[in-house]
Amino acid sequence: MSARHPEVPGDKTGTATSVVETAAAAVQKFGPINNMHQHLCAFHFYAHDMKRQVEAHHFCGHQNEEVRQCLIYDGPESDARLIGVEYIISEALFLTLPDKEKPLWHSHEYEVKSGLLFMPAMPGPIERQDLAKLAQTYGKAIHFWQVDRGDNLPLGLPQIMMALTRDGQLHDHLSKDVEKRFNVNFNEERENRAYMKGPEHGIHPLANGAGKGLQTVLREVDCKPQAAAAATPAGASATRVFV
Amino acid sequence: MASSDEKPGPMPGPEGSTPGKAMTTGQRILDKGAQIVQSLKPIKHISQHACTFAFYAHDLSRHIQTHHFLSRLNQDFLQCPVYDSDSSDARLIGIEYIISEWIFEALPAEEQKLWHSHAYEIESGLWINPGMAETIQKLELRNLAKTYGKFWCTWQVDRGDKLPLGAPALMVSPQAEIMGLVNPELIVKRDEKYRITSEDVIESRAGIEEPETISLHADHWRNTGKGFAIDVVQTEMKSGAPFP
Repeated sequence: MSARHPEVPGDKTGTATSVVETAAAAVQKFGPINNMHQHLCAFHFYAHDMKRQVEAHHFCGHQNEEVRQCLIYDGPESDARLIGVEYIISEALFLTLPDKEKPLWHSHEYEVKSGLLFMPAMPGPIERQDLAKLAQTYGKAIHFWQVDRGDNLPLGLPQIMMALTRDGQLHDHLSKDVEKRFNVNFNEERENRAYMKGPEHGIHPLANGAGKGLQTVLREVDCKPQAAAAATPAGASATRVFV
Repeated sequence: MASSDEKPGPMPGPEGSTPGKAMTTGQRILDKGAQIVQSLKPIKHISQHACTFAFYAHDLSRHIQTHHFLSRLNQDFLQCPVYDSDSSDARLIGIEYIISEWIFEALPAEEQKLWHSHAYEIESGLWINPGMAETIQKLELRNLAKTYGKFWCTWQVDRGDKLPLGAPALMVSPQAEIMGLVNPELIVKRDEKYRITSEDVIESRAGIEEPETISLHADHWRNTGKGFAIDVVQTEMKSGAPFP
């Protein structure tokens, strides 16, 4: 684990539980999980507060050539906390998004070209083949667990996250820590990636929060009107299966 | 800017399917290479598949079937990516966290309102572990029946969204009252796929103990008739450097 995070509360996993989980793993279909083929390490910050930055380990699978789905963990180990999700789409698909949606997505050009986004343990030339594609994509990242503020549980509301877009944004200590732990050199990688291009049409002005901060807010709402219609005496509905 | 209870604007292309070209051979080779070289430890730690149902906290009439892939951090905490099927092309629709009763009870009331109870879902056979014998499932279900979950949905596939659009939505669990009952057609379809009979499942779960009390703050809609929606709003960003 990179930073000091408080322990998730709870007892050590019991034997009976372990038995069940071993049995499950042997017999069950894990289709979507087996589709996750790739580990990317990058940094996110909160869309309303650039100063709060998080090391984000993405475990990604392809829906197709233009759409990836990623689980985001706070580290690469088996006990890492699942802190969020990210979806990654091609520039072509991004351009088809409704304009109101575009600000929730961030560009990847800077992260890739600066070297800050990398695939741990992958040989450079192979890694760069995929990164060249990623440099032209857009991502939508949502975090549910604010480990950077010391939360030992996923408290509060989901947070829209953004990605780095220029030099000077990332906290020095975070980049040095990652370089050390993963034995990478961001400046060297930047040179290796100089040939890569960002989106064909340039970074869309509505991406990256349209240049503004984004915050999530909770709103209480009435349960749907169908509920009022459905509140008839018990047994009146013929389709009920469970009493 | 975006709200979980607001339909997003239109997108081109046929309804329902995820847009995008098919995977190229080149990409498959890259992925295979990564899979061989990278350790992917957190993914390998995922140990159980469960299939159940959930409703949107802002619209209890919208029922979805969910596929949870559970990963246990300790005896009292599970973290689960949630998909819309168990196939390799399943869409990632959200994340659910599951905690034991005693951890839930220590949460502030405002936080508890975002969580839901699991007892009914398990006793009524809605929650199943496909492929696993009921006898084995039951060992775990006794514990799960007393847990609470927090489930955020990031892709509203049931309303036809081709991509994950809008604000994340809070989800809630089925409960033993009219508004909390799952559409029986969905259950029949699910049972057919996994070749189970709900009546048999319910019978085998008869011995499972309910929690003594279910917190008044969980399942917020039951006591208040109110759900929750999430809005994403523009604000000033706190920053130490120019953006974007």
